[in-house]
Amino acid sequence: METFPSTKYQRGKIFAKTGFKVGKNYAEHYLKSLALGKKNKSELHRKTAEDVFGEFTKLRGTALKIAQSFSIDQGFLPTEFSEVMTKAQYKVPPINKSLVRAIIKQELGKFPEFLFNDFDPEAIAAASIGQVHKATLKNGKKIAIKIQYPGVRETIASDIALARTLFKSILPRGSEVDPYIDEVKTTLLLETDYISEGESINRFHKRFSNEKVITPEWIPELSTERVLTMSFVDGVHLDEFLTGNPAQPEKDHYGQIFWDFFHNQIKDRDEVHADTHPGNFLFTPDGKLGVIDFGCVKKFPEDFFINYLRLLPTHLNRDEKAILELYNRLEVLKDNPETNAKEKEFYEFCKHYGFTFAMPYLDDSFDFGDNEYKDLIRNYTRNAPVTTEPRGNKHFIYTTRVHLGLYHFLMKLGAKISTVQSKELLEEVLTEFA
Amino acid sequence: MDKETKLKIKIADASASRYIENNRFTIQSLAQQLDIEPSVIFGHFPNRSAILDYFYESRLLLFAEDLKQIKGYSDFSLSEKMSNLFYLLIDQFQQHREFVLLTYKERILSPNCSSGFQKTFVRSLEEIFSADVQISSTASLCKGRFLYQSIFCHFHGLILFWMNDQSQNYVNSMALIDKWCSLIEEIYYSKIIDRGFDFTKFLFYQSPFSKMISKS
Ligand SMILES: Nc1ncnc2c1ncn2[C@@H]1O[C@H](COP(=O)(O)OP(=O)(O)OP(=O)(O)O)[C@@H](O)[C@H]1O
Repeated sequence: METFPSTKYQRGKIFAKTGFKVGKNYAEHYLKSLALGKKNKSELHRKTAEDVFGEFTKLRGTALKIAQSFSIDQGFLPTEFSEVMTKAQYKVPPINKSLVRAIIKQELGKFPEFLFNDFDPEAIAAASIGQVHKATLKNGKKIAIKIQYPGVRETIASDIALARTLFKSILPRGSEVDPYIDEVKTTLLLETDYISEGESINRFHKRFSNEKVITPEWIPELSTERVLTMSFVDGVHLDEFLTGNPAQPEKDHYGQIFWDFFHNQIKDRDEVHADTHPGNFLFTPDGKLGVIDFGCVKKFPEDFFINYLRLLPTHLNRDEKAILELYNRLEVLKDNPETNAKEKEFYEFCKHYGFTFAMPYLDDSFDFGDNEYKDLIRNYTRNAPVTTEPRGNKHFIYTTRVHLGLYHFLMKLGAKISTVQSKELLEEVLTEFA
Repeated sequence: MDKETKLKIKIADASASRYIENNRFTIQSLAQQLDIEPSVIFGHFPNRSAILDYFYESRLLLFAEDLKQIKGYSDFSLSEKMSNLFYLLIDQFQQHREFVLLTYKERILSPNCSSGFQKTFVRSLEEIFSADVQISSTASLCKGRFLYQSIFCHFHGLILFWMNDQSQNYVNSMALIDKWCSLIEEIYYSKIIDRGFDFTKFLFYQSPFSKMISKS
């Protein structure tokens, strides 16, 4: 980190004060130039996407999950591909009632009738590699039980191998997909270990359960590697919340908690909840944000993490030299943009997209309900230069998933949030590492 | 379950444990272990072999008993009912795994065994299939002896797979049962294509039957 111009990170001076309007013009201007002459490519991609997609749906398994991890947020696959991709939910076959009983007997030693006061044989939700049931303990406590489809772990390896072949067949020769696929494989395998998830549940419960956020508590006596028992979190998902036509202050309330939860995770520079999709967050009746699913938590190497966070102020400052340097550190660029035209195109895109992405940190508050901003983000992802190969440090897979997940959630919710506290927090972390 | 049956099952369970220690155990030693008179045992079984056979048959009685515990069993689908039968049997077998590993082939598989297990197994299947209203009309023509016999054969396949299953907690056996029963249901409800593919893929990776054939 020695060579990095650390003077840029002085407390209170980190975030530029350009203002939203100016920033938006800057971001829009670039988009327009980008959109010219794009159309013809798109048809071709859709065709490829559909072909490949056909192959993937047949597999049903892990392969689909990988494709989803690589989809839109990763930005290296054509949007057309990710659009088709996100339509399909990765799913294992539902676990039928007999199998549910058999798994519980096998894993916990007794049939559900003997373990619980009440056990609902119908699943309340599908999980990616299993499903979730609701039950009541003998002491009356309501619990959620996540049951894993048997043999999932065993098929992950073979599914990954298939996905690798498929990816290699659609990406240009010589693309380095292996580190990414390996990263996803490690994560997926870890997601099948419900004991490790239970331990994460505990750690997050200690760190984050407070008057605003509720997370489940792990019940280890009734948990194994394939059965995860935890306290039940009451609440509704984003879609259901929105059908109730909530008033603006209510949306802002939850949005603010969500935004702050995300940034508080940065503060500790410890693990982060790395699966920011709407299914993992609940709006509880008493005004809290329920955070569930700790199957995918990540602790990033500090070097990477700090550099990632630096992207925000650096883009806002539009300091080209610093941006270039960060990109090099984060392995975003493969060649010098000054001498390589393709690389230049990519660099320009990243620079502008990065700026757009950092815009919520421009002022002291930000309205994620702003349709113009939504359009901007959407257009950027849609017009990403098709490098069709993975770029950037492999940890990007998860940081972007989390960060973009946060934005998508808040945009859908339409929340206006205050960014004062989060900016202070980021400044604090960045100055500490300046 | 009546008292007499309970006692008979207790004797069968104890004999399965005795058998592992000594496959030529005497009725006397078994009686001693159970703290009963040998005449009590002889009152129910003519000889040791009959007890060992009864061990298998009685697993199906335990299965029938367990059904009573399950809420809403009558609403189970065909594949749920069938897999339930297999899971419960596997669960029973698992508690005496070593005994089953030693005796299954000789007592159940061998062609000249006159097993009460097979008769009771077929009766359980009959009950499952005849209670099902969803079976398509063409498929229902195929119900009957041939069907039950072939399911019984597949059951052997599953058990042999389970015997060789190295996966933790026999998860692969459970997955195989699930896929296999779904396949049977799809055939009988005539929706074969989708699950057929899933099943084929599974077979491709686990190839239980190839393992089974090579090892048995
Ligand atoms: N503790 C809980 N309390 C209430 N509902 C829960 C709880 N845990 C899980 N659920 C419900 O089950 C659904 C799936 O659970 P979870 O997200 O943990 O599974 P998953 O396998 O990680 O799925 P995915 O990978 O798709 O996020 C949740 O969206 C939620 O509706």
